[in-house]
Amino acid sequence: MNPGLRTSASGMLAQQKMVDVIANNLANVNTTGFKRSRVSFEDVLYETVQGPRTVNAQSGETVSAVQIGKGVRLAAITRIHGQGAAEVTQRPLDLAIEGEGFFQVQRPDGTLAYTRDGTFTLSDSGSMVTANGYLLVPGITLPPDVSAVTVSPSGVVTADTGGGSLELGRIELARFVNPSGLLSVGENLYTETVASGTPIVGTAQEEGFGRLLQGVLEASNVEIVQEMTDMIAAQRAYEINAKAIRAGEEMMQVANEIIR
Amino acid sequence: MPLRGIVNTARTLSYYTRLQELTANNLANVSSDAYKRDRLTARSLEGGGHPVPVQQVDLTQGTLRETGRPLDIAIDGAGFLVVGTAAGERLTRAGSLQLDAAGRLTDHHGDPILGEKGPIAISGAQLEIRGDGTVLVDGAEVDRLRLVTVPDPTRLLKEGYGRFVSDEATVPPPPATRLRQHAVEDANIDPMTGMVDLVMIQRAYTANVDALRAMDGLLSTITNDVGRVG
Repeated sequence: MNPGLRTSASGMLAQQKMVDVIANNLANVNTTGFKRSRVSFEDVLYETVQGPRTVNAQSGETVSAVQIGKGVRLAAITRIHGQGAAEVTQRPLDLAIEGEGFFQVQRPDGTLAYTRDGTFTLSDSGSMVTANGYLLVPGITLPPDVSAVTVSPSGVVTADTGGGSLELGRIELARFVNPSGLLSVGENLYTETVASGTPIVGTAQEEGFGRLLQGVLEASNVEIVQEMTDMIAAQRAYEINAKAIRAGEEMMQVANEIIR
Repeated sequence: MPLRGIVNTARTLSYYTRLQELTANNLANVSSDAYKRDRLTARSLEGGGHPVPVQQVDLTQGTLRETGRPLDIAIDGAGFLVVGTAAGERLTRAGSLQLDAAGRLTDHHGDPILGEKGPIAISGAQLEIRGDGTVLVDGAEVDRLRLVTVPDPTRLLKEGYGRFVSDEATVPPPPATRLRQHAVEDANIDPMTGMVDLVMIQRAYTANVDALRAMDGLLSTITNDVGRVG
């Protein structure tokens, strides 16, 4: 049996994975704060079918080894944490981070998670929570008689009340040396892993941190045109691997007909 | 004479089978980071009737693709990064790096990418890698990525995982070689050429099978019919 068939099959599987990831990117083109993923592939084992050898004893001429590779495998799917476009909503509790950093939120089990999705609302007790009801950390609670809320670019939250303006606290951000190593847990949240490194907590506009924009949301960083061209390339690569299978198969058929 | 022809044709057929496998492997790796395509050519030897396969890794530059990821490093020009594996140092151009639990720069398999002082640990928030390989964390120089090449690239062997093994000592790369952060290198494969190759291989294989059959027919006539009287 022609081992090339299996090689080409691995190529088809790889392109299938590529299409899966692109499809997920495209499905999240309108998800606030979503970061696109990229698939990396790598070659697998090589069989040395013929070592380097001397082909002409007189001249000492040699040819290099002949190595046949056995296909491709998925190396990693990495998230690309590039900035998404700013989308102006004018809603006072919509926040976007321009630059590095994540909002810290507390999940129901008490653990921290990180998000770029700044669609905040108020809980029944007046605390700032994410769209899924997770508390912003450190917590910011608005008094009942608030007429307006202002969030400064450095994260200071001020409320206008009947009795003048009142500082409610400061939004802290976390950042990671390798954000691609964060684990995606759904609901636009990420959790820390050994690969991401430990969070470095600080405030907006300080060393390395981005600034906060109020009344703005960060759009997904998926670019439709880019994903579509990648999709076309993946589709063509899939076809080409299928053609390689057919070519190998037809060669086997021809070989089988040598003796009739 | 036809017997020798049959042997030579059989070798030619096996050459084309190899070529098909190799082309299939190139095409399977069309999306692999920094994959370098294999080339198999045939050389006739003096007085020999069948081709001797000669393989080369085509090290030409692949297109650089911007990813925006700080740990993606592409090499622009000739040269390799050095990976420290359990089996010794390996060379690679696949620069989509990770960090391990100790904060060291590694490849996808957790093996460290070596700097001049060994594995490079990153603890900080801002990673910058300059064109000459200097690694800066939060603006302070930490180490410099080793960027090397080999005197005779035809002696490189592939090991999979985007790695190459060299049996020679490494040398500094040409001065024009630069590292580009936030980018990866695409495979240097043109799928269209691969496609044309596949058709060519298939046709050549069929033609050789036809030749084999013709020689077989001739041999059959010689052995069965020559010398028969009446």
